Amino acid sequence: MRALALLFLSAGALAAAPPFEVRVRELIDYYAHPKRDDFGYATIAARLKLGQDPAWCSRRLIELLKPPIHGDMFWMFPTTAIAYLDRGQLSEEARRALREAWRTYMPFRGDTENHWLLYYTSLYLMAQLWGGEPGERWFNGKSSEENLREAAAWIDSWMRLTTRRGQGEYDCTHYLGVFLLPMSYLAAWAEDPVMRKRAEMMLDYLIADYAVENLDGIYVGSHARTDDKMVVEKWHGIAGDFGYLLFGLGPKPEPMSGYPMYYSLASTYRPPAILERIATDRSAPYTHYERKRTRNRWRFHDELHGPVYKTTYLRREYAVGSDQGGILQPIQQHSWDVTWAVPDPRGVHNTFFTMHPYSSLYELETYFSFGPDFGVEEVVRSKRTYDSPDKLLGGSPFEKIMQDEDTVVALYAIPPLTRFPHINGFLSKDLDEFVEDPSGWIFLRGNQALIAVRPLQRYTLKPIPGGGRRLFSPYLNNGVVVQAAAASEFAGLEAFRKAILVLELDYRLEPVPSVSFRSLRGRRLEFTYGERPRVDGRPLDYENWPLFGGPFLEAAVDSEQLLIKYGSERRKLDFRRNTVE
Amino acid sequence: MRVQRNWVGGLPLKPSGLFVESPVEGFKQRGFNHPLVLALDYDPRDPSTLYLAAGNGLIRAADGGRRWKILTDHQVTELRDVSVDANAPGTIYFAHVGGLHVTRDGGATFEQVHPLPRRRYTESVRVDRTRAGRLVCGGESGLYLSEDGGRSWRLAGGAGFQIMYIQQSPHDADHWLAVTQLGGLLVSTDSGRTFEHSGKVGVGRNLYDIAFDPTTPGRIALCGWGPGVVVSEDNGKTWEERNQGLPLRDVWSVAFDPDRPGRLMASVHEEALYVSEDAGRTWRRYALEESVVFRMKFLPEVAR
Repeated sequence: MRALALLFLSAGALAAAPPFEVRVRELIDYYAHPKRDDFGYATIAARLKLGQDPAWCSRRLIELLKPPIHGDMFWMFPTTAIAYLDRGQLSEEARRALREAWRTYMPFRGDTENHWLLYYTSLYLMAQLWGGEPGERWFNGKSSEENLREAAAWIDSWMRLTTRRGQGEYDCTHYLGVFLLPMSYLAAWAEDPVMRKRAEMMLDYLIADYAVENLDGIYVGSHARTDDKMVVEKWHGIAGDFGYLLFGLGPKPEPMSGYPMYYSLASTYRPPAILERIATDRSAPYTHYERKRTRNRWRFHDELHGPVYKTTYLRREYAVGSDQGGILQPIQQHSWDVTWAVPDPRGVHNTFFTMHPYSSLYELETYFSFGPDFGVEEVVRSKRTYDSPDKLLGGSPFEKIMQDEDTVVALYAIPPLTRFPHINGFLSKDLDEFVEDPSGWIFLRGNQALIAVRPLQRYTLKPIPGGGRRLFSPYLNNGVVVQAAAASEFAGLEAFRKAILVLELDYRLEPVPSVSFRSLRGRRLEFTYGERPRVDGRPLDYENWPLFGGPFLEAAVDSEQLLIKYGSERRKLDFRRNTVE
Repeated sequence: MRVQRNWVGGLPLKPSGLFVESPVEGFKQRGFNHPLVLALDYDPRDPSTLYLAAGNGLIRAADGGRRWKILTDHQVTELRDVSVDANAPGTIYFAHVGGLHVTRDGGATFEQVHPLPRRRYTESVRVDRTRAGRLVCGGESGLYLSEDGGRSWRLAGGAGFQIMYIQQSPHDADHWLAVTQLGGLLVSTDSGRTFEHSGKVGVGRNLYDIAFDPTTPGRIALCGWGPGVVVSEDNGKTWEERNQGLPLRDVWSVAFDPDRPGRLMASVHEEALYVSEDAGRTWRRYALEESVVFRMKFLPEVAR
C-alpha cells in the first residue's frame, strides 16, 4: 500500500508526456523558431524539414558557410542533414556554397569512437549524394566512390565490433545521442538497403542498451564517459533528452539539445513497443549484466581493447551499477554509484558514490597520443577538474569494485607517493536523511532509497561548492561497503539501520584491503583487492560474462546478435544475416 | 605547423597545419587547416611533393604543399612521423599510434610492418639515407632496426624507454641519434645496429627533436621541455644549454639552416619561432606568434 501511494506521488509530480509524434514536432518546432537569436544550422535544418522559409534558409546557409568554417565532424552532421532536407528548397547559390565547403574545408576526423562515427556517416551520405565526382571535388582528395567505400567499410567494422565486443564509449550520459544520430541518418538516407537495414537494427540495439539501464530516463550504471555536472545531476544529459523523446520519460528538457532534433529530422525512428515496455517497466527488481570494451589503448597494454564487466541492479526506487574498476576509459569514466528515483530530477543530485581522484600522464598516454609534458595541461584546458584532488569524475587504477544485486564493495590500494592519496565520496545536497552511526556505518535516505555506507577508514566531510558534501578519507588502503534497499522494505531508516548492523562484516586493510560481507540479500560477498571477487564462495565468472545478460536482453560475446525479451514477446536482431525476427 | 596558444579541441582553429617560409612572403600557410600535422618529409627526386604525418592520415601535399590528398584510409590514424626511402622510389614509411606502415607504390597500397605483434605504438621512424629498405623506428619501448624494408626487425637498444625522435647524421651515415622520454639521448655509431645511452643530457626530462648542422660537422642541437635548446660542438661528447633570449625552456623543435652556417631555429611552446645566428648562443623572436611548431624542415628551393 505504501509503495503504491508513493508511486502515485512520483508519477504525479510530472505532467504526462504528450505522444511521440507531438514530442517530435515540438522538438523540431523549438529549433525552427528558437527563442534566442541563435539561427544556426539547426534552425535551417528544422525549417527545411517543415518546408518553411526556404529563401531565408538559403541566405543563412550561405552566410554560415563563409570561411573560416570550424567544427570538424560536428560541422559535418548538420550540413549533411541540410543537404538531405533540401529537397529542392535551397537556392542554387546555397547548394553551390554547401558543395564548395565540402571541398575547401577539411574536418579533423578526431580521435574517438563518436568522432569517427559522425565523420564517416556524414562522409558516406555526402559521397552518396554527390556521387561520381573526382578527388579534386573533395577536401580529402578522394573521389566520391573512394569516400563511399572507405566510409562504408569503417561503419560496417564499427557495427561488427559493437555487436561482438561492445562499444568503447559505452553507455554515455552525453554521447548516446552522438551514436543514435548517425544511425538515424543512415536509416533514413542511405540508398543501400543493407546499410539502411543495419542502421535501423543498430538503433534498436543502442536504444535497447539504454532502455534496460535507465531509471525514469536517467542513464544509470557505470559510464564510459560523463561529465562533472552529469555525474551528480544524473538526468542532465542528452540521454535524458532521448528518454523523453523516445519514451516520454522524465521532464521535458529545456532547452532541448540538438542531437534528438537531428535524430528526429532524419529517420524519426520510433523504437518498437517492446523497447518501450523495457524502458518503462520497473515493477520488479532485476540485475542486468553487460560486457563492453575499453577505448583504444595505444600504449602499455598488449591488447588494444580490454574487457569491461558491468553489473546494474534496477528497481523502481533506485539503481545500483558498477564496472570492475580500474582505468577503463580516460578522464571521464564513472565506475559505480547508487542513483535513486525522484519525482522531478531537475537540479537534483540523486546519487551516491566514492572514487579515487586519479590523474596521470600514464592514463593519457595509454589512450591518447599526447606528448609527455603537455598532455595534462591540454586536457585540463577543456576538462578543468581532471587534475583536481577534489574531483568526482574519472576512474583509477587503484580502485577495484564488486557488485552483487544492490550491494557494492569498492576497495582502494593507493601506492605511496600517488598524486592524490585519498578517496572522495559524494554526499548529495538532496539526501532526505543522513545519519552517522557510532558503529561506523552511515545511513542515507534519498527519496525511497535507503543506502548504508561503511567506510573502512576514518573520514571527514567537506562542503562542495554548489551544495552537498565530499567524504574525504586520506588513507592509502581504503574501501567502502554499500548496501541499498527500498524504503518499502523497512518501517524507516532506524529499522534499516538495525537490519544492516546485524549483517556480518569482516574486513582488514593490510597488506591490501579485504572484505567479507553478508549482504542484506543473504549472499556472502568476499573481496580482496587484486583478487577475483566471490559470491557465496564462487568466483565471479568473468570468462563467461555476457555481452548482454538479464531478464530483458541476451547476447553472447562475438555473437553479432541480440535477443530482446519482455514477457512472452521476443525480438531478435541478427547482424550476421541482417534480420529482425 | 602550429596551433595557437590555449587552443582546445572543438574550438575554432586559427590557421594550423603546414607553413612554408619564403624570402618574399615570410611564413604562409599551405593547404588545409589541420590541428595535427606532426612531421613531414619529401622524396629528393621530387621535393615539391611533401608527405605529412597528420591526424587524418598520411597526406600527400603536392605543388609545394598546396594540393593535399589523404592517402590512407580508416585503418590508420594520428600519424606521428614519416620518412621517405630516398633509395626506393615510392616507398614511404610512417609511424602512428597503431604501429608502423609502409607504402611501396607511392600511396596506392599499404602494408603493416610493425616491429612487434603487440605494443605497436610508434613515435618515430627514419630511413637510412644510404641504403634502401634500411630503417630504425621507436615507440613505447626501445629502438628497432630493419634491413629488409620492415619485414624483419631486431631490437637495437633503448629498451624500457619511450622513443621520441630519431635522426641520422648527414655527415656520417653510421652516426644515428635518438631522444627519449626521461632517458636522455641514445647514440649509435654502427649505423643503427646498436644504440647506447650517452651521458646525462636530457635525462629525467623529455627531448623532442634532434638537428645535425649540415654546414658544420660535429655540431648537433637537441631540444625538449626543461633543457630548452642543448648544443654540442664535438659530435655529442659534451653538451651546453643555450637558451639566452628564449622566454621558456619548453622547446618542441630545432632546425639548422643548411644555407647559413650557425643559423638555428627553435620553436618555443605557445610563444613563437626563435632564431639564433650563433648556433643558439643568443636568440631573437622571429615569427609565428603564439604557435606550437611541432617539427621544422628545410626544403630545397624548388619545393618552396
